[in-house]
Amino acid sequence: MEPAEVEFLAEKELVTIVPNFSLDRIHLIGGDLGPFNPGLPVEVPVWLAINLKQRQKCRLIPPEWMDVGKLEEIRDQERKEDTFTPMPSPYYMELTKLLLNYASDNIPRADEIRTLVKDTWDTRMAKLRLSADSFVRQQEAHAKLDNLTLMEINTTGTFLTQALDHMYKLRTNLQPGEGSHSQDF
Amino acid sequence: MSEAYFPVGPGLGMEENFLSLDDILMSQEKLPGRAESALPRLAVLVGQGASSAESVPEGSKLEIPLWLAKGLHDSKRRIISVELPKIYKEAWRTVFSADANVVDLHKMGPYYYGFGSQLLNFENPENPEIAQTILQTFVARFRRIMDSSQNAYNEDTSALVARLDELERALFQVGQKGLNDFQCWEKGQASQITASSLVQNYGKRKLTEVDG
Repeated sequence: MEPAEVEFLAEKELVTIVPNFSLDRIHLIGGDLGPFNPGLPVEVPVWLAINLKQRQKCRLIPPEWMDVGKLEEIRDQERKEDTFTPMPSPYYMELTKLLLNYASDNIPRADEIRTLVKDTWDTRMAKLRLSADSFVRQQEAHAKLDNLTLMEINTTGTFLTQALDHMYKLRTNLQPGEGSHSQDF
Repeated sequence: MSEAYFPVGPGLGMEENFLSLDDILMSQEKLPGRAESALPRLAVLVGQGASSAESVPEGSKLEIPLWLAKGLHDSKRRIISVELPKIYKEAWRTVFSADANVVDLHKMGPYYYGFGSQLLNFENPENPEIAQTILQTFVARFRRIMDSSQNAYNEDTSALVARLDELERALFQVGQKGLNDFQCWEKGQASQITASSLVQNYGKRKLTEVDG
């Protein structure tokens, strides 16, 4: 998958906006949205929120976790523990980027949030590399990785699966006689 | 998919992958061996004489490609016997177990893993040790490949891949693609539409055809 596709999936997440126009409930394939009334908060998918925001038809209310205090806590927790800690949203990276790019005027201390999320991401990637290395070094057959998000899996997934594929084949060579398998294609 | 075709990876085992370009290139790597019986009029085939009348005497040393060695090797008829290339021998195996990262596998290989796996076809008594060393080498070198491929962004990577075997290079490229795609997305370039590499290459090919 490409990062843009992951971002596309993230755009289905719901955020709260405060519209400044009124519109009846709209019926879409993915479900009904609205009704929109000026000044009344309503939950919409990110793609619609960004569209409305770009046309200056709404004010965006950032998700609860997109807050400097909460993110600092998450970052410190992530640094303290050896395993992956649960993230506030399975699309934290994508949402941060989308919302900060298009609605940074509605998010207080946007720059700090950007840095904090990036720090958390870097810590998690370093952890992922570390655990991948120890996984290969000990030649384990299976591992459990909880709380990884799609974007994280997407950046190292192909590399890791291919490396493990090679390792598996080299390991089958250790047992002579069984290693002869037929063509893959 | 930006690739013009779907490449088939190397077989990496006792069997080659028939459609893999890497395996085809690997199978013409030379292997030291010895003629166990006289091979009349075949000197041309094993690259030892100019005319087709010359024959290979029994016991002469040969340098034959892997595909030929696999075909001629037969434990019952004993046409040729195959020796290990020095990189798979005891002395080098000790080097690999000491520190696999220092070895220049591109110079020694460049198909170290694939070729080594193919050597297991020749019923050498050292086979288990060879298979073990190849696996251990991969495991030991994995960390460096992963780290360098995931951290080198916008850099000249030729120095990083210079000492890597072909298999490791392919792996490195995959890691680089993951990193580059992510960085591209983060900078917001992923939303820009670019020409497919297929179209770009097609344009190039047309130009060369005009030139030629």
